[in-house]
Amino acid sequence: MVRQAFLLQRLPLLLCLGLLLLLTGYPLLILFLQSVFPQILGGSLSGFLEPYQRIAETTDLGAMIGTSLLWAGSVTLISWVIGIPCGFLLARTDIPGKLWLRLSLLFPIMTPPYIAALSYILVMQEGGFADAFLGGLPAGLRAWFFSFWGVSTVMALASFGYVALAVEAALERLPQRFDDAAAQLGAGLSQRLRLILLPLLLPAILNAGLLVFLEAISNFGVPAVLGTRSNLPLLPAEIFYLVTSWPVDLGLATSLSSLLCLMALAGLYGSRWLGQWIGGGRYRPGPARQLPIGRKGHWLGWAFVALLFLLSTIVPYLAMMLSSLAEGWQGGRPALTLAHYRELLSPGSRGASALLTSLGLSLSAATVCILIGGYIAYVGSRNRGLLQQLLDGIATLPRVIPKIVMAVALILAWNAPWIPFDLYNTVWMLLLAYVIIYITDALNYANASLQSMSVNLENAAAVLGANRFTVFTRIVLPQLGPALSAAWLVTFIVCMRELVASILLLPPGTDTTATFIFSQFEQGDISLAMAMASLTILLSTIVLVAFQLRRRSSH
Amino acid sequence: MSVFLECHQLHKQFDGNPVLDGIDFSLDRGECLVLLGPSGCGKSTLLNIIAGLLAADQGELRCDGEVLDAPAQGFHRPMRDRRFSMVFQDFSLWPHMTVAENVAFGLRVRGAHRSRIREQVEQALARVRMSDFLDRKPEQLSGGQQQRVAIARALAVQPRLLLLDEPLSALDARLREDLKTELGALLQDSGVTSVYVTHDQSEAMTLGDRIALMKGGRIEQIGPPEQVYREPSSCFVAEFLGSSNLLPYQRQAHEVAVQGGLRLSLNGQAERLPAQGNCMLRREAVCISQSACCPGDDVIELSAICRQMHFLGDRHEAFAELENGHTLRGIADGPVREGATVRVRFPRNALRFLPD
Ligand SMILES: Nc1ncnc2c1ncn2[C@@H]1O[C@H](COP(=O)(O)OP(=O)(O)OP(=O)(O)O)[C@@H](O)[C@H]1O
Ligand SMILES: [Mg+2]
Repeated sequence: MVRQAFLLQRLPLLLCLGLLLLLTGYPLLILFLQSVFPQILGGSLSGFLEPYQRIAETTDLGAMIGTSLLWAGSVTLISWVIGIPCGFLLARTDIPGKLWLRLSLLFPIMTPPYIAALSYILVMQEGGFADAFLGGLPAGLRAWFFSFWGVSTVMALASFGYVALAVEAALERLPQRFDDAAAQLGAGLSQRLRLILLPLLLPAILNAGLLVFLEAISNFGVPAVLGTRSNLPLLPAEIFYLVTSWPVDLGLATSLSSLLCLMALAGLYGSRWLGQWIGGGRYRPGPARQLPIGRKGHWLGWAFVALLFLLSTIVPYLAMMLSSLAEGWQGGRPALTLAHYRELLSPGSRGASALLTSLGLSLSAATVCILIGGYIAYVGSRNRGLLQQLLDGIATLPRVIPKIVMAVALILAWNAPWIPFDLYNTVWMLLLAYVIIYITDALNYANASLQSMSVNLENAAAVLGANRFTVFTRIVLPQLGPALSAAWLVTFIVCMRELVASILLLPPGTDTTATFIFSQFEQGDISLAMAMASLTILLSTIVLVAFQLRRRSSH
Repeated sequence: MSVFLECHQLHKQFDGNPVLDGIDFSLDRGECLVLLGPSGCGKSTLLNIIAGLLAADQGELRCDGEVLDAPAQGFHRPMRDRRFSMVFQDFSLWPHMTVAENVAFGLRVRGAHRSRIREQVEQALARVRMSDFLDRKPEQLSGGQQQRVAIARALAVQPRLLLLDEPLSALDARLREDLKTELGALLQDSGVTSVYVTHDQSEAMTLGDRIALMKGGRIEQIGPPEQVYREPSSCFVAEFLGSSNLLPYQRQAHEVAVQGGLRLSLNGQAERLPAQGNCMLRREAVCISQSACCPGDDVIELSAICRQMHFLGDRHEAFAELENGHTLRGIADGPVREGATVRVRFPRNALRFLPD
C-alpha cells in the first residue's frame, strides 16, 4: 500500500526517466555495444574489441584523431584570442555604439558554419570571387587558407561570438572593487590582469571555450566541406563516410564515435576541473567602472570589430548572395538574375519540397521539444534525490554527445532487427532525431525560469483541488511561456539548418534545406545551393524579428 | 606630533552636482580621523579621493609633505603609488585566493622576499586572530571573519595610511560591537594613521581621535569626540550625535526667552549669543521625577505631565509635556507613571545656545 503510494507519487519522474532512457540512453547503449561487439546486431558476440584494435594498429586513424583534437583545440584558441578582447571592449570600456557591436557578434553566431565554409570556398578557390574582384590571390594565402589554420580560422570566425558574449556577461558581474583592492596594494595593470582578472574570468572563459571546442570537434559541415578540400581528414567527416559509403564499416564507425564521445566528455570534465582548480570562487556581483580608452582607442576598437565583422559576416554573405544571383560567369564577373530563386520556389520542384520538409520538421520538432522539455524540466525541478539527478544527467547528455554520434546511434537503434515497425527510412525518424538532439535547449531555458518560480503557486492550486494535469497546464505552462517561446525560437532556427542528422537519417528521395545545399554544392549547382542558403537564413531572420516584435508589443 | 595628511579646499562634482564643497582638514601621524555623516553627504567620495580612486576637481591633497593631488597643476598621483591601503564595506576579498594568498598579495606584487611574506602574513593574521584559517577560501568564512582578513590584508603591507569605508556596516549588530572594540585596540597598537568612514555614531566615538562631521559636502565640525559631543557648533551636529532637545529661543536685550516659557538672564553672557537660534539640552541632562525637590540656584525646575516612557535597558527615557504644550525628553529618576504630574529638572549650565 505504502509502496504503491510511493510509486504513484513518483510516476511523473519515472515516466520522464523512462522516456529519456528510451530516446537517448537506448541508442547510445546500442552504439557502445556495437563498437565493443561488432557482430552484436547479427546476434553474435564475436570480434570483441576488434574495431578498437584496428584503430590502434592503423596509423592513419590515430593521426586523424590527433588532428581532430588539435584542430578543435586551435579553433578554441583562435576564438579566445579574438573573442576575449571583444568581450572586454563591450563590458569594460567606454566605446560608443555597443548595441551595434553586440549585434555584429550575433550575425556569425546565427550563420551555420557549413554555409560560411561554402561561401569562403567560393571566395578563395581558384577563379573565385577573390580572384575575380581583387585580381588574383597570392598563392601563399590560398595555400594557407586551404590548410589546417585556414580551416580553423573559418570555424573560429563562426564561433568566437560565444566567447565574446560569455566574457562580456562575466565581466559585467565582476565587481570593480576586486580590481581597486589590488591596485590599492600596488599592483600594476599587468599584475592585476594576470593575478586577479584572468583567474576570476577563467570559469567563463573555459565554459565558452568548451562550447566552442565541443562544437568544433563534433561539427560535420566544415570538415566535410572544407576539410576534404584542404587534405585535412577530421573525425566527424570520417565517421560519415564510414557509415554512408560502401563498404559500410559499422564497427569502425561506432568505435570512432565512442572515442569522439569520450573526447567530448573529457573536454567537459577537464574544463570543469581546471576552472575549479585555478580560478572561480563565488562572489556577489557588483558594479564596474568603464575604462576610458580615448579617441584612438575607440577607433582601434571599432576597427577590430569591423574587421571581424567583415571576415565573419560580410565576406561570406556577399559571396553567398552574389552566387545565388549569378547567371553564369562572363569574364570573371557574374551577370545577375533571380532565376535560381524562382526555380527554388516553383511548386513541386526539389527545392520547394526541401523547404517545405524543413519547415514542417522544424515547426513540429520545436513544438515537441518545448512540450516534452518543459514537462521534464518541471518534473525535475519539483523532485529531489537520486532519480532526479539521474534525470538531469541523461537530459543534458545530448548537449555533450556530438550530433553525428547521436545520428549514428539512432540508425543502429531503430534499424535493429528487433524493431518491428519501420521507423528508419521515414521522415518521422528525422523528427525523432531533431527532438533528441535539441531538447536540451528547451530544458535549459525552462530550468532557468523554473528556478525563480515559487512552488507555492502550484500548492495553492492543488489545495483548491486541481489535479496534476490541471496544475501543469493552467499554472506552470503559462508562467513558463516566455522561456519556452525563446526555446522554441532557438530550436526552430537550429533545426532549419541541421545538416548532419538530416543527411544521415533522411529517407532516399527526400531533402531538407541543409542536405539540398550540401548536395547541390557538391554536384556543382552552386547558384541553386546558395539561393537556398540565402532563403534559409532570411527565413530564420524573419522568424527571429517577428518574435522580437511580438515580445516587444506584448510588454 | 606632526601634520601628516592635509586636505586643502577639496572640491568634487559629479555631473555638475557638487558633492564635495571645500574640504579642509589636517591629520597628525598616528591619529584616527572618523568621517561621520548622513547617507550621501560625500564621505565615501572624500575617502576615495584620498585613496586615489577618484581625482579631485579643485584643491590640494598632501601626504607627508608630498603632493598627491593638485588639479590646478594637473597632478594626480595614481592610487598604486600612494602606499595606502583600504578596507571596503563589502570586504572585497578575492574569491579565487585563500586567506593567506589574499593577505600576501600586497607584499607579493611589491616583490618582497618569500620568507618575509610568510612572516608578515602570519603576523598580520595573528593580529586579527585568524591564524587558523590560513588555507580557507573567503566563501568558507563568515562575514566577520572575512572582514578580519580584509583588515589583515590592508595592514600586512604596513601602509602609510589606512582607509576604512564603513567596514562594519555589513555585519550584524552583535558582531559589529565585538569587532569595533577589537578594531579600536588594533588601530591603537599598530599606531597606523587612519581615516574611517561611518554613519554610526558609536563607532565614531569609540574609534576616532577626532571626528569630522560632514553635511552636504562640507565638514560641519571637526574635533575630539567629547568636544564635538559637548560643544556642538550647530543644530545639525547636536541632533546627529546623541539624543537632545532643541528649543527655539529669542534674545531680548539681556535676557533669553526659550520656548517653553523660560526666561534666562545669562549673567551678561546673553549679548554674545546670536539674536535667535536653538537651545540644546542633552537628554541625559534632563531629570524627570514624580517627587519634588528644592531647586537650587543653578538648577531649573519645571512642572509637566509624563506622556510616554521608553525602557532603554539600563534606564527609562521619559517624555514630559510642559505646561505650554512643549515636550522634553529626559531620563526618569525613580518610579514615574505615564499620565502622572512630574517635575523636570536640569542644570542651568547644561544649556547650549546654537545658531539656526
Ligand atoms: N560616480 C558617481 N556619479 C554620480 N554621482 C555620484 C557618484 N558617486 C557618488 N555620487 C553622488 O555623490 C553623493 C555622495 O556620495 P557618497 O558615496 O560620497 O556618499 P556617502 O556619504 O558615502 O553615503 P553613504 O553613507 O550612503 O555611503 C551622493 O549624492 C551620490 O549620489
Ligand atoms: Mg559611502
